[in-house]
Amino acid sequence: MNVQQRAATWSLWLAAVLAVVITVSTGIGPVSISPVAVLKVLLNALAVPIGLELTAHSIGGTLQIPAPSIRWHSPFGYAVGSTEETIVMRVRLPRVLLAAAVGFALAAAGTVMQGFFRNPMADPSIIGVSSGAATGAVAFLVIPVAIPFGLGLRGAAFVGALMAAFGVYLIATEGGRTPVATLLLAGVAIQAFLGSVISFLQLHSGEGIRQVVHWLMGHLGNASWEDVTITLILVPLLFGVLLAYARDLNVLLLGEEDAHSLGVEVERTKRILLAVSAVLTAAAVAVSGVIGFVGLIVPHMVRLVVGPDHRVLLPAAALAGASFLVLTDTVARSGATEIPVGIVTAALGAPFFLYLLRSREVHEL
Amino acid sequence: MSETEPTLVVEDLSVDLGGTEILSSVSILARKGELVGLIGPNGAGKTTLLSAIRGSVTPTSGSVTVAGERISALSAREISRRVGTVPQETSLSFTFSVEAAVAMGRHPHIGRFGTATAEDRTAVSRAMEQTAVTAFADRPVTELSGGERQRVLLARALAQSTPLLLLDEPTANLDINHAIRTLDLVRSVVDDGTAAVAAIHDLNLAARYCDRLVLLAGGEVLAAGSPDSVLTSETLREAFDAQTIVSQDSITDAPRVTTLSDTEQTDDNDTR
Repeated sequence: MNVQQRAATWSLWLAAVLAVVITVSTGIGPVSISPVAVLKVLLNALAVPIGLELTAHSIGGTLQIPAPSIRWHSPFGYAVGSTEETIVMRVRLPRVLLAAAVGFALAAAGTVMQGFFRNPMADPSIIGVSSGAATGAVAFLVIPVAIPFGLGLRGAAFVGALMAAFGVYLIATEGGRTPVATLLLAGVAIQAFLGSVISFLQLHSGEGIRQVVHWLMGHLGNASWEDVTITLILVPLLFGVLLAYARDLNVLLLGEEDAHSLGVEVERTKRILLAVSAVLTAAAVAVSGVIGFVGLIVPHMVRLVVGPDHRVLLPAAALAGASFLVLTDTVARSGATEIPVGIVTAALGAPFFLYLLRSREVHEL
Repeated sequence: MSETEPTLVVEDLSVDLGGTEILSSVSILARKGELVGLIGPNGAGKTTLLSAIRGSVTPTSGSVTVAGERISALSAREISRRVGTVPQETSLSFTFSVEAAVAMGRHPHIGRFGTATAEDRTAVSRAMEQTAVTAFADRPVTELSGGERQRVLLARALAQSTPLLLLDEPTANLDINHAIRTLDLVRSVVDDGTAAVAAIHDLNLAARYCDRLVLLAGGEVLAAGSPDSVLTSETLREAFDAQTIVSQDSITDAPRVTTLSDTEQTDDNDTR
């Protein structure tokens, strides 16, 4: 079986798993809904555009201007209770889809960062993205006047993330070259610095401390369809760019000198991979807060199973990350009181990872 | 390009690294079917010269021309379709299979959104057969011995299908058996119609396998030509600051260099 077939097979399997996980998870909650009912609601919500039509709108009662509008057709019309429909469409589905998109983005960015840095401890936050997002978000929560341009919480986190990543990149770059080791150390330093800024802000957060702590531990509870739409557009686009560089990422694992002699424009490729991973992570962290562990452990777990070739690994890890975060978020919201999902990802993920590590040959990286 | 034009032409090449002149006015040639050995003491600039030939170091003056094209005018991808490199060692921490590692040699031939064609697969399996690594095509490269890994690196460079091959100390980490087998392999690849430049530490191996030698010292070409003409006691003393005796190997007929240690020289002097 060649690489493309392996990539397609794994992707199809993991996409099917994700579909099942989404359907089942959407049914779980204070009001239990059967997966079949969830499926019916989802199918009912499907609409396909079947044509344009012109409808005349009257303005001021005299002039009639025809305006085009898309005619939608919903092929399914199952009978479902309106309560169930409301719960699925308004409450649970946005949250589940957001979890899927965030998990997908974090696992993809983590996979790329581990390959890029040739370091098993690398994760999406390694170049300061998460710390930057946290600083932006906490600043917004504690001293909202400090955030200009009317950026909301998500906007502040997104901008903070990109500023931190770009700062780390600038510090580590000299004469058009960005040595990976310098980048790593600059990232660690900036993370430490921003950590102290966050701690300082927390001390002065007063009433807002609960909200701050909640954000820092990662949560998906405030998911809106607006978040879901933006994330579901942004994440696949950026992922597509990373996937186009999967083979270059393989070659980069040989070291930069070797990669150059195999035709990779090393510095340009590094810039693209860094920038796209940073935006991907920022998009995820901005809507979810800091969710650790997904971007670190999921790529490792998947690499143990599918091997190191990024053409297979990248899509497989991303899809597995999506399922993983949907499942852990379902656990996070199923208890008597909701707990931040970041706690659950580590609590469930670490033992499972240790089990995998012990039960299989321990690979180098 | 005419048949007789050399595959590699390095003209008056000078390279500065961090303000220090590493190479000054180096000129070398390599023709199709010719193995050129780069010899010289540590720090003579052998590795820098190889880096400059494949364009990963920018020269301050002079030019490198491969198969009729100036390297400085080509992209990394275009260069890697003309120059294949066998590095001394490679860091491959992830457990890629041998076949996957060799297939990376096809990277410059496949477009960003393309996939391996029949031609790519043929090149990979031919390179694996030539270097006798087909038997362990599915083993992870991390589990191979030094000699096997060196053959995989050679296979990767062969899969690149380039007119010019560069080898940086291909035998440095190998025992004598594997060193000989690796150089036999390089020799047969060159005889099939490739031009090759190899930095080789071992003077006797260089003399035995190379058609011509280039002796570098202090960033300059001290001597160039047939092994017989380059390997003389005088040039070697100048380059290496060492006392040597050059004789003819009775089995291979190649020049044989015996280096004398300081004590042996003293003994000689003491003999009255």
